[in-house]
Amino acid sequence: METLGFLIDGFGVALAPENLMFALLGAFLGTLIGALPGLGPANGVAILIPLAFTLGLRADTSLIMLTSVYAGAMYGGRISSILLNIPGDEPAMMTCLDGYPMAQKGKAAEALAISAIASFIGSLIATIGLILLAPILADFALTFGPAEYFALFLLAFATLGGITGKNPVKTVIAACLGLMIATVGIDNTGVQRYTFGVLELYEGVDFIIVIVGLFAISELLTFIEERAGKGHKTIKVNGLKLSFKDIVAILPTSLRGSVLGFIAGVLPGAGASLGSFISYTLEKKILGDKGQFGTGDPRGVAAPEAGNNGASSGALVPMLTLGVPGSGTTAVLLALLISQNITPGPLMFTQHADIVWGVIAALLIGNFLLLVLNIPLVGLFVRLLSVPPMFLLPIVTMVAFVGIYSISNTTFDLYFMVAFGFAGYILRKLEIPLVPVILGLLLGPEMEKNLRHAMDISDGDWTILWSSGLAIGLWAFAILGLVLPYIIGPILRKRMQIKTGATGD
Amino acid sequence: MSYFNDRFFGILLIVLAVAYGWAASQFPVPFGGSEVVGPETFPHLLAVVLGVSSLYLLVRPDPDHSWPWSRTGIELIIALVVLALYAAALEPLGFIISTTLAVGTLCWRMGARPVKAYVTGAVAGVVVFLIFDFALDLPLPLGLLSFLEVG
Repeated sequence: METLGFLIDGFGVALAPENLMFALLGAFLGTLIGALPGLGPANGVAILIPLAFTLGLRADTSLIMLTSVYAGAMYGGRISSILLNIPGDEPAMMTCLDGYPMAQKGKAAEALAISAIASFIGSLIATIGLILLAPILADFALTFGPAEYFALFLLAFATLGGITGKNPVKTVIAACLGLMIATVGIDNTGVQRYTFGVLELYEGVDFIIVIVGLFAISELLTFIEERAGKGHKTIKVNGLKLSFKDIVAILPTSLRGSVLGFIAGVLPGAGASLGSFISYTLEKKILGDKGQFGTGDPRGVAAPEAGNNGASSGALVPMLTLGVPGSGTTAVLLALLISQNITPGPLMFTQHADIVWGVIAALLIGNFLLLVLNIPLVGLFVRLLSVPPMFLLPIVTMVAFVGIYSISNTTFDLYFMVAFGFAGYILRKLEIPLVPVILGLLLGPEMEKNLRHAMDISDGDWTILWSSGLAIGLWAFAILGLVLPYIIGPILRKRMQIKTGATGD
Repeated sequence: MSYFNDRFFGILLIVLAVAYGWAASQFPVPFGGSEVVGPETFPHLLAVVLGVSSLYLLVRPDPDHSWPWSRTGIELIIALVVLALYAAALEPLGFIISTTLAVGTLCWRMGARPVKAYVTGAVAGVVVFLIFDFALDLPLPLGLLSFLEVG
């Protein structure tokens, strides 16, 4: 019941006119970013963070706006999957399987509408799951000591390279690089570390610069290399003919997909790719011969969309309660929280209850906004898809420049950002995942702090790090998280490739 | 299939790990004496983990990706130079002119027709400038165009 009271207060925050306006703006921009091929939610949120910052938005407002961007991008991803057969990001891959065939059969509008409805159901159910699960998890997390936190951070690194990351050793390397960048600056005993006397480095490396460089600038470079943008032929969107019966027909599928997606999202690192994959696969198994999966079955559109949106809301659970993000995009959202001087984690539920519940309420409202926005405005988003990326990406890059420049008004940061962009490109080529780098940078200071506390408590006895049952459990999961991708990863990727191989780009 | 990339990168990382770890042992002892976990402890841990995992890269590298040595490589270098020059020109030339040049050149190099590319750059520059200067009240540098400044 307590939760309900908080939620009502949360609605008070979310329905404030300013917050509502930014939620709408975020949802719109998010859908746009998601719809454009090549730009995923992590990119979108990364580029808009500096803007939220320079606009001097309050913590709750900027978090609400960026969560709406996140939700919107998950919605938008399906548009290019269905119309162009190009998934905007990995989780949207499964939507191509039945979405594109439906569009080819002249049912593009129906496919778009069904995916919007399934996305809505997925997000809605996962948000309800978040409301129920988050406070429990936050209470539980309050029992964590510094040793448990240290192990928890390790768990986050271990799983974030995740099932889709290929080589666990490269995940470890990426995390180390991030943590090393985090040690730059004056540490809390007053010693200068790795500053080389450069004044700009005394306060450490600003993670917003690193994030924008690694994501946005390296995206531009990768695009130049791949030259994916030779113009796409968009399928024409017909008039919408969707009956109430059609919606009812996809309901059971959407519900199952939502729950599966939510579970996949809560598990750290598994994320939206796994969510959409297992919902699609399970649905195919359940319906068997009754479905026509792969040839344009509406349920084949509904299942992965419900799964991937369920997972994206689910990924907020560990981010909000433990301060450990469950996906790349939530890692970027975490950066925003830290930059607003809010330490994410269980204490946030007591210290910043208004912000947490405001965001959760905004997520609920955002879903309704997105549903309303998506059905009538789909034509507008479709038209924007016809803008060739060769115009779009330079403009996006410029927006990243402006955002960073207006934070500090120095060009030093811009050179730094370009350098990180180049580094990001090299890392991508070497298949070293970028998300653990960001995570290392974000969690580094907290990790070191917890290590210090743990050592102070134990008087220098390192075994304290694995002395409690909980800590051992976390270590075990972390090791499992590093080893499992070796076993499951190749199988999962192969299956996804076989399934999408015939249609993939 | 060659494995050069990972091996080369592995060596670089080992050098980095050693340099990083060595630099940490040079940190001065903080005021108040040394503690169990001093400023150097965490960097030392990282250096060891990075060193060990880089060694693994040498032993078990992944197959190489092809690098864009040919024309694409030149395009990439052009893009990087444009971005660096954009950063350098932002204040002296002003936002609108440098954006026109930077975005225009990028669009052009990515395959747009030159005229269309630079027009896109100019429009983007002016629109973003107006939004930032007037709507958001975050002034961007005008540079050479500062004679246009009102009031």
